[in-house]
Amino acid sequence: METLKRFQLTPFAFRLYGFLGYAFLYVPVLLLAFFSFNESAAGNLPFTGFTLKWYTALFRDYLVIDAFKNSLLVGAVTSLLATIIGTAAAFPLVRSSIRFKEFLRIVFILPIMIPGLLIGIALLVFFSSLLKLSLSLGTVVIGHVVMTTPFVVLVVAARLVDFNRTLEWAAADLGADPWTTFRYITFPLILPGILAGALFAFTLSLDEFVITLFTIGSQTTLPLYVFSQVKFGVTPKINALATILLFASVTTLMTGFYALARLGRPSGQPK
Amino acid sequence: MGGLAIYPGLAGCDGDMTLNATDATTVLGEIQPGGETPGDIVRGAEEMAGARPSRKVLLGFVPISVLLVGFFLAPLMVMVLYSLWTMEGFNVVPHWTLVNYVRFFTAGMYTAILLKTAAISLLVTILALLFGYPFAYFLVRYVNKKWQILLLVLVIIPFWTSYLLRVYAWMGILGRKGVINQFLMVIGLVRQPLEFLLYNNFSVTLVFLYLYLPFAIITLYASLEKFDFNQINAAMDLGATPWRAFVEIMLPQTKQGVITAFLFIFIPMLGEYITPKLVGGTDGTMMANLIVNLFRGFQFPAGSAVALSIAVLITLILIVFRRYLRVEELY
Repeated sequence: METLKRFQLTPFAFRLYGFLGYAFLYVPVLLLAFFSFNESAAGNLPFTGFTLKWYTALFRDYLVIDAFKNSLLVGAVTSLLATIIGTAAAFPLVRSSIRFKEFLRIVFILPIMIPGLLIGIALLVFFSSLLKLSLSLGTVVIGHVVMTTPFVVLVVAARLVDFNRTLEWAAADLGADPWTTFRYITFPLILPGILAGALFAFTLSLDEFVITLFTIGSQTTLPLYVFSQVKFGVTPKINALATILLFASVTTLMTGFYALARLGRPSGQPK
Repeated sequence: MGGLAIYPGLAGCDGDMTLNATDATTVLGEIQPGGETPGDIVRGAEEMAGARPSRKVLLGFVPISVLLVGFFLAPLMVMVLYSLWTMEGFNVVPHWTLVNYVRFFTAGMYTAILLKTAAISLLVTILALLFGYPFAYFLVRYVNKKWQILLLVLVIIPFWTSYLLRVYAWMGILGRKGVINQFLMVIGLVRQPLEFLLYNNFSVTLVFLYLYLPFAIITLYASLEKFDFNQINAAMDLGATPWRAFVEIMLPQTKQGVITAFLFIFIPMLGEYITPKLVGGTDGTMMANLIVNLFRGFQFPAGSAVALSIAVLITLILIVFRRYLRVEELY
């Protein structure tokens, strides 16, 4: 009897726990969205009435628009550079027969695991005291590329590991030169990995804060703008901005997942 | 810090890749029994032609080497030099000294913040594991296979939304005029807003738990998913208590996930800057905030020494646990 009772209680307890877990993850974010439509200037409870004025205020704020443009620009350039550099490195990492791969693996993981703060400060000291470079969006891009390239390497390498090389050898047997083989066989098959890497780099760059803080000149990016606004508390305009950004990232994420799932699997074998 | 966003992605890839790897082996397995495949012949030819193809492919390392040597190692080396030099006025001058490191490890304030940072990082890591384990268990055992991926994506999504905004969300919940205080006052439980909710170690710990919990869930899920639960039944049939079955059978077999989660939470925590800054108030200061304060105050050598000590610590942890960093079966 005792055992039976326990047996029935456990699934319920775990389901409740799961539900509470999702509530913990989502309620804070949903509250932000909720408050962005609240008329009260406190950006918080109580809910005094529905309004869209924080959104219109946001779109009229040229500081926000400017920061947004800068973020997109930095994100796009970072993503492009990181994808090219990272993809180039993934090939020898997977395919060459060098002995120090284990060492390289740790070297590549280091920029991921070393706190962004250290990368930012080291670059600041390097650029300003040693190279006497003036800080700009260009120096920000350099910092972001250092941070995001290792991710591209990992993602593309994962794709390459699963790559069925007999396809390349078959192409070579049939007379294709290395470039043709790459263009028509290798590249299309690892494209999902490359795109995932690019999306990865773009998203990371868009959200990057600490490296940007230390490597930027007089400009601002979206995370820097948000930080300058929220340092001293809650503002309704940031609630509106948050809602837009959260919605955008969820949409991008879902589209990305869907597209990558559709682009198919490596080695070209059917699902 | 955007750095965090990665881990779910990597873990996500992990599952995906394992699948792909199996597919690839299946395909190879189908081909190989038939004898020598065209691939084997070409591979043989490649080997006969010498090391050339292998050497050519090494050219791919050139751009990343330029990047990492020029803009990662070189800046870190400058920091190493600065940490060994002296400050005179507003300039760093090359007078060699170890005083910056000695001061870091002997000055009470620094060691206190270092210990506090380690303690909070450890606490958050343990809490994330404690809360994440039952959640991952729930996903594996009590969710229909069909829905598992969707529910897992739901865990990953918050990871991909802005770090800064997720911290900010809690300011609106815990603050003086925040949701919790408003609610407590409306129902009449308290008359004055509670002050201890925000700007202290409690809020820092809570927000960190919020930020890192998804990662614990994802890595633990990856481990638990491979676990054969029949073993638990077997153990309990043989008279083991549920607790004993958990400790002696389930926990050892999911060790990989636990250690991976531990590393990917504990290490980034050591360099956290934004969260203590936004919700930590005056007593929430952690290592990263100290480093920034030193650099803002033009104490470059001292700041460099503190920053490098953290970097060395992290590198050592990485080298010791490198086995567990195989998030994917990469090379």
